[in-house]
Amino acid sequence: MLNELFSKLRQAFRRGGGRPDFVSVLLPFLIIVAALGALAWRSYVLSVKMEHGATTIAEQYAGYAAEITARRIDAAVRAEMTLASDEWQQMERQLGNPTTAGLRDWVAKHEWIVAAMYLPDYDAENSLFVGEPSANAKGQLRLDREFYTSTGTVGYTYDPHLLLAAVNDAARRPPLVQNESSAPLTIQQQADISLVYKPVEGVEKLDDGFSFVSSLAAPLSSFGVRAVVRTVYVGGKGWQNQRVMSLWVSLLALVLTGIGALLAFRGMKKEAETMSLRGALIANVSHELRTPLSMIRLGAETLKLGRLKEKERKDIEDQILREVLLLSHLVENVLDVARMQNHSERALAFTPVGPRELVRSLIATYESWIESRGFTVSLDLDETVAEQMWDRDAVSRALLNLIDNAIKYSGEEKKAIEVVLRQTSEHVILEVKDHGIGIGAEDVARIFDPYYRAQFSDTITRRGAGLGLTLVQQIVSSHGGRTEVESTIGEGSTFRLLFPRTSEMAAPLPAIHQPREAF
Amino acid sequence: MTHRISRIFIVAVIAAATLSAEEPKCSAAARECDHQIRQMLRGRRFLGVTVEERAPGLMIKAVVANSPAERAGLRAGDRLIAINGKSLTQASTRDFKQTVAEARDTGRLWMIISRGGVYAKVETRLEPYTKEQIARIVAAHLLESHTAKAGVQ
Repeated sequence: MLNELFSKLRQAFRRGGGRPDFVSVLLPFLIIVAALGALAWRSYVLSVKMEHGATTIAEQYAGYAAEITARRIDAAVRAEMTLASDEWQQMERQLGNPTTAGLRDWVAKHEWIVAAMYLPDYDAENSLFVGEPSANAKGQLRLDREFYTSTGTVGYTYDPHLLLAAVNDAARRPPLVQNESSAPLTIQQQADISLVYKPVEGVEKLDDGFSFVSSLAAPLSSFGVRAVVRTVYVGGKGWQNQRVMSLWVSLLALVLTGIGALLAFRGMKKEAETMSLRGALIANVSHELRTPLSMIRLGAETLKLGRLKEKERKDIEDQILREVLLLSHLVENVLDVARMQNHSERALAFTPVGPRELVRSLIATYESWIESRGFTVSLDLDETVAEQMWDRDAVSRALLNLIDNAIKYSGEEKKAIEVVLRQTSEHVILEVKDHGIGIGAEDVARIFDPYYRAQFSDTITRRGAGLGLTLVQQIVSSHGGRTEVESTIGEGSTFRLLFPRTSEMAAPLPAIHQPREAF
Repeated sequence: MTHRISRIFIVAVIAAATLSAEEPKCSAAARECDHQIRQMLRGRRFLGVTVEERAPGLMIKAVVANSPAERAGLRAGDRLIAINGKSLTQASTRDFKQTVAEARDTGRLWMIISRGGVYAKVETRLEPYTKEQIARIVAAHLLESHTAKAGVQ
């Protein structure tokens, strides 16, 4: 399969022109797309796994933190209560019989105790009581507890909030987890610990982490510890989330590849088109060359035979001359286009040219030829147009090409050509109007492309190499101007050459290259 | 009896009201204290014996007059062998009290005692403090802590 692929690719490279093979162009891109897609998928799966691991760890850590903290608070509460009862018993042993003052001291030592009562075993009616309920009251919640001494029972009421505040240090200490930053995932390992009243035990999934509640042991079982662990890895919002980001990057690569494929395909298509146009040119040119050549040969052979009347001989000579002129015109065109396309060193020689005079002399030169084709030329020249810095030969050639086109693509009905010279504030405009067959809208955009010829039913009989308008456009644009075309099928076309107006006072533009004498 | 206690109580309250301006020991209002004491004593049941540790074992040191223990026939000098099925021969005072406290829900107690070498089974019930007893405790507190000088009656 791989061999097949390589041979196909080799073919695609070797082929060069010709119709682009859809598969051979897109195959490499399809392979890249597939690889990128696989990469994206892989990274996505990997990141999902990592995220899953992160959440699992966060969940476990939340549970662990809550549990540890709860046990720690339990131990601290137990220790606090044991300490209180031990203190009382020690005091009782030292004092002999408990007194109200002793009880008061004891209550004052532990600020979480709200009220206390001592009930001696021997006399139920002689109890001691000390309490400052409203002074220390914090919440409505009160809990009772009692312990036994050798002489009686001590019962006390305490405020659990105050008791928890007394053992607050135990809750404040962070649970023992080292923050290992070796892992690629970052979990906020510091749990947010808080106390909750009437806890519902269990783990709860938050948007960005986990919360775990673990209730305290008796006597504070109505309280619980809530540990919230946030997972930063999961929490990244939008495209900042690493796993989404890898997806975005892959997608971007995919899009770029797609654009590349499109561009490559288009380039290939364009090249193939140019190639086919070049092929058409060769056909055109050979046809163009063969016809006048055969005419010339025929004429020359007839002359060589002699025995001709004076008039016939003259006709043949005229014909040979005309065909030679046509041939040289064609060859000039081809050469000029080739030269200008290859950015040849032959630059245009800008000299002051009178546009009116240029048009008149051109028409005068070619009048007989035009009339021989049965056309009439009408001139409409603005007398106010001043001298312009033009390349005389080039502009003449452009104009001639337009007139040639007008003649070539005119029907039999109205054989008239109008040449207009006028000016606006910015441009000097040369117009050539015909009443010929016109150009379709889809062709207008392409008629200036080299080798392109609009398709008519009789294209082949209208002689031409498809280079005339290309040359016209190149000449005009090298003068800094532009071309415009208006055309309606069946009514005729107007070609308009807009040259930027050079003011009378302006110095002639310095020629970048000296004109060659050889031309 | 009731008449006497309520008189003491009224006197105490009047004394507290008149003398509370002069540095009472308990900073809370008398009514708060009253409420608190009653709450702590409500439903509290007692047996009415004082126990002494005699290594090993426990011995009844004294019996409170007019208590459930006295009515059940317990006397000072009785050795405690078992209570509610638990042996007390190695127990401390604390264990005994713990067991009594655990029995408060039902109030039932049955003990095996040894008096002069003779074992006897004693059944009794824990009894809540009487209203008179509670009133006496409240009054004692009010007298002591809510008056400037103790013993002003």
